[in-house]
Amino acid sequence: MDSPAANAAFAKQIGVKFPLLSDMNKKMLTSYGILKAYEQKGDTYQWALRANIVIDKDGIIRHIEGGDSAVDPNTAVSVCTDLHKKQSAP
Amino acid sequence: MKRLLASALLLAIVPQLTSVSAQPQKKDEVAKLSLKVGDTAPDFTLLSDEWKTVKLSDFHGKKNVFLAVYVLAFTGG
Repeated sequence: MDSPAANAAFAKQIGVKFPLLSDMNKKMLTSYGILKAYEQKGDTYQWALRANIVIDKDGIIRHIEGGDSAVDPNTAVSVCTDLHKKQSAP
Repeated sequence: MKRLLASALLLAIVPQLTSVSAQPQKKDEVAKLSLKVGDTAPDFTLLSDEWKTVKLSDFHGKKNVFLAVYVLAFTGG
């Protein structure tokens, strides 16, 4: 939910080589079930879970995890690596 | 005496922390992590840090996509 401007500054700070994306209208977060909310005294508070998702070339989800475990990207990275190996195999 | 006082303060705080952390679970959640491995990923359009639109469907048949959802850039969380 960070703005493109905040992401641009963050990208520059950490020197990433891939795009940092913003979901300003929260559509993607909602459709993927990543947006959470609770009400308190009539106000709704929303936040996004940490999540790692690997989607293959055919648009099929090959890995999805949310919450604390998603802080560590290693499982998703290994899924991605295996997927790439399978696709590169003759 | 100081150790006894510290223990007493900790006990006084713990019930309050427990009630605060349990509160969101009683409320209705807008969405759950409902997608699973094997599902078709819903298409999305997001804005890049260069203000360009990026669609999942742009990568269809070309590249695998790794999405890492994080919150609050700069926090290092």
